[in-house]
Amino acid sequence: MILAGIYELWQSSWPAGVIMLGLGGSFALVLLIASEKLKVEEDPKIAQIHEALPGLDCGGCGYAGCGQYAKAVSQNPELIGRCAPGGKKTADKIASILNLQISDSGAPKKPIVHCRAHTEDKTFYGDYRGITTCTAANALASVQACNFGCLGFGDCTRVCRFDAIHIVDGLAMVDYEKCTGCGACAKACPRGLIEMVPFTYENMMTVACRNKEKGKVTRSMCKVGCIGCKLCSKVSDVFTVEDNLARVDYGRYKPDEANEKARGKCPTGVIILAGKGAPAQQEAKAGKAKASSG
Amino acid sequence: MDTVTTLVLGFISIVVVNNLVLTKFLGICPYLGVSGRIDMAFGMGLAVTFVVTLSGTLTWLIDHLILMGTPFEVTRYVCFIMVIAGAVQLVEMYLRKFFPSLYDSFGIFLPLITTNCAILGLCLFINLWGIDNLAEAVVLSFGAGIGFTMAICIMAGIRENLNLANVPENLQGAPITLITAGLLSLAFMGFAGMIR
Repeated sequence: MILAGIYELWQSSWPAGVIMLGLGGSFALVLLIASEKLKVEEDPKIAQIHEALPGLDCGGCGYAGCGQYAKAVSQNPELIGRCAPGGKKTADKIASILNLQISDSGAPKKPIVHCRAHTEDKTFYGDYRGITTCTAANALASVQACNFGCLGFGDCTRVCRFDAIHIVDGLAMVDYEKCTGCGACAKACPRGLIEMVPFTYENMMTVACRNKEKGKVTRSMCKVGCIGCKLCSKVSDVFTVEDNLARVDYGRYKPDEANEKARGKCPTGVIILAGKGAPAQQEAKAGKAKASSG
Repeated sequence: MDTVTTLVLGFISIVVVNNLVLTKFLGICPYLGVSGRIDMAFGMGLAVTFVVTLSGTLTWLIDHLILMGTPFEVTRYVCFIMVIAGAVQLVEMYLRKFFPSLYDSFGIFLPLITTNCAILGLCLFINLWGIDNLAEAVVLSFGAGIGFTMAICIMAGIRENLNLANVPENLQGAPITLITAGLLSLAFMGFAGMIR
């Protein structure tokens, strides 16, 4: 009974199978011809490199994603070491895939924000109610008194793939625990405040200001700006003052006594330590006195 | 009506009045997924146009030359899907060879054209509407692709501007996109009943 039913089903449906087979076969033939005609030769190394990469597609290397970087690096080995999240491990892996020996690529680069003014430290001429991105606000001359400082609208936060930079009270602050050093924030900042610095030590000393105005003008704009007083450069030769702004020579920086002394002497407390578990920033001496008196 | 009028009206009908995305709600996946940037949306629209024209024509031929009149019309869905999958494979190979950057930026959405229900929908609509000459089937298939391209490009243009708009926090991302899509199709509903 059941067997007869199955036989009947088979009897009535086998031509459908033949039709499907015929159609499938003809499509397979067309695709076979097409795949021969439109063949793309790809280096198997590209796939291997792609596998060795972290696969985050952060764009820190300057390419749209890991796939594009893998392709570029296979053709041009000079690009090894561009992958910041992968670091030295990934660079070594790529080198071994490409049969290359690489020397040490140096200290990992991490971003440093060259501003330390929170909203209460800044001076504003008015209330900005425009498009809430730094790029838009930067086009307006008088959005805040300081034309060098952090705008605090978080363009850097938005481009960060790792949740490692946040706006805290109007100032971008890097979370060095999460930061991979891909450099996306440095490219996003319209004021160029974020610099990628080689971290030769756990904590790097830096001047968290970019204001090149004269000391008096800087003071009128910001309680924690660099006023170019040269106290630091007198104590330690790592510091140089140029255009009313102190700078650190990161290549020669060592966490020694002279530098610590220079940091302690800074009247506005603009010399800070950045990095994982950096000590709390000191209060501006002069700025604080002014705030309490006025 | 002579043939040319029928063809022109059919074309306008499928592009504007019976737009597959905006009035039939087919093909929503790429419509929302690839409409972030207008150049990518346009590329996606062109790929879909190619696939839908090819598969619409081929399925009409298969339907009328092989399946109709036999008891195997029930295998229509399977045959149609096979045609669509084959056409997508062709497009994928072609893009990979000649437009590698476009190929990279599509990513997973290119093979997903296979499961774009706008394409299968169009093939089945052609059958449902009883289109019985090849020219009309070709024009309808091409028009469906053009309609899809138009819809996705409009959407991409709106979304590019939406990026700069001050959207309330709880509506950011997917909700405002869906609201935009709804308003857009509401606007296109105004054409309903103009032709056919």
